[in-house]
Amino acid sequence: MENDNRLDASRRNFLAGMAGAGALAAVGDVVAQAPAAPPGTLSSEQVKADKAKAMQWHSERPLTGSVPAHEHDFDVTPNDRMYVRNNLLTPVVDINTHRLTVKGLVDKELSFSVFDLPKNFRTVTLQGMLECAGSGRSAYQPKASGTPWLETGGMGCPKWGGVRLRDVLQAAGLKPGAAHVAGQGGDPGMVPTAAPVIRSIPMSKAMEENTLIAWAMNDSPLPWIHGYPLRLVVPGWVGSASTKWLHTISVLDAPFKGTYMDSSYRVPRHPVQPGTKMPPDAVSTEAWPIKSMITFPAPNARYKGGQPITVRGRAWVGEGAVDRVEISTDEGKTWQPANLDRRGDKYAWRTFTYEYRPQRPGYVTFLARAWDDRGNAQPAVPYWNPLGYFWNGWHRVGVLVEA
Amino acid sequence: MRLSAAALFLGISFSAQAQDALISGPGSTLTENKCKICHELEHIRRAQLSPGEWADNLRNMKERGAPMTEAEMEVIQRYLSTYYNREKPAPAPSPDTLASGGGDPVQKLLGAHACAGCHAVDSRVVGPSFKEVAAKYAGDASAPQRLASKIRSGGSGVWGSVPMPANPQIPASDLKLVVDWVLAQK
Repeated sequence: MENDNRLDASRRNFLAGMAGAGALAAVGDVVAQAPAAPPGTLSSEQVKADKAKAMQWHSERPLTGSVPAHEHDFDVTPNDRMYVRNNLLTPVVDINTHRLTVKGLVDKELSFSVFDLPKNFRTVTLQGMLECAGSGRSAYQPKASGTPWLETGGMGCPKWGGVRLRDVLQAAGLKPGAAHVAGQGGDPGMVPTAAPVIRSIPMSKAMEENTLIAWAMNDSPLPWIHGYPLRLVVPGWVGSASTKWLHTISVLDAPFKGTYMDSSYRVPRHPVQPGTKMPPDAVSTEAWPIKSMITFPAPNARYKGGQPITVRGRAWVGEGAVDRVEISTDEGKTWQPANLDRRGDKYAWRTFTYEYRPQRPGYVTFLARAWDDRGNAQPAVPYWNPLGYFWNGWHRVGVLVEA
Repeated sequence: MRLSAAALFLGISFSAQAQDALISGPGSTLTENKCKICHELEHIRRAQLSPGEWADNLRNMKERGAPMTEAEMEVIQRYLSTYYNREKPAPAPSPDTLASGGGDPVQKLLGAHACAGCHAVDSRVVGPSFKEVAAKYAGDASAPQRLASKIRSGGSGVWGSVPMPANPQIPASDLKLVVDWVLAQK
């Protein structure tokens, strides 16, 4: 799909306003107790100001937040409901001076301004799923360390605009042995010793036509917190693959070696006893397994007796396709097929609906279970893993049917 | 995306940092001081891990850049495995006998107010060494007043991009003791 997302530099005016406000705020005594954002970075308050009231903040330092399932009832996730998760601080980058460098195992090193990209490559817009590897973590027992994402939340499915990573890599020319592609962003840490957040993806995913270097999110410039002015979008895969504030793309002969590849974002290859440490045989997290959530009605919604209930939700899978979604109202004893709208971009979530007519007053519980086209179904409770990744257990919503 | 300065001012003024502490015990002060540099301590309180997972977790934090020595990591590992261990209940709070300084009142203050998390006498940890601070103020008659106000209100941009957090809670008598001691480091 051709698209002419315009790159908007009007943010700088806003930023100028911010700087003034910050100077004003610094004089107050109470104000001074809030942890200051280092120069060139956004404070939590500035990030929150752009987000929906429905956002729930799970951690202040670092700032992480998401909306619960019943606030995700959109075919396309609006920017102000996209989840917030950084490993480090949020940089404020000037689009006019920002450069993207492509280096490593390439025939010629390339460097682009943000504005060069749409001039040199075909622009595309596609809807694609991003989800933090730890999304749903708080549902695991025993608890794992890390951001306590709710059972649902920590994901979203906006439209992204940009150019294909593949086209940029081909322009640079891949040398023999090129096997992995690493993105590096400009997010700084609180301490000078902070390791940069660098993750790499295998060449097959880098060359996939839905993997983008994006500058637009739902037809507006990327919000600062989501990577302004450039980010990778590696749809369907754990969010950390989609490097924000992207400034360097390195083509490597093997997976990048660094803490964010070798210690974080890993899962045991085989199930381990809950509560034990990471075994040596572990792999890097890549595509999300099949998952779904009920986005309507809200938990404990009330219905008049006899009134039909339309259950609606979203289902997605990191690679492959959603094959079907089922609903159970008897705690998983029996399952009925939901209607699944199969249309949409390859890595976009799918909407499902299910009509239910209550037989009697009382409490009704809906469970959702999705299947992918490779025969995988969501489990009631997924295998426990030390860092609490990939929660995809059945989502449950109960409502009250009044007499 | 548009925001008035007034709204921003209010937004910030309501977000004063909540008290953020761990159960008092041997090593609690060091653990607080090191972990708080980058993240809130709720990440520790909510996660009751096994000793093996804590060891992995600390190794991971060190790799990510947390300024801790091996000796400090050992103290923190022992503390977390004792007080935030899912395999056995935490013991009752007890004094932090490992807090730096022992009987030295200044060292005690540097630990209690988290100064020691980022500053050392003659080497850079996160912020400047105390000797560098003393050298910067050398010969300045208003140094005690300026340094005290810096510690109270925090600031940034003098020694690098990491801001010095404000410390409005330090009693005036403690503040004086610390200021005089820092300025005497030569």
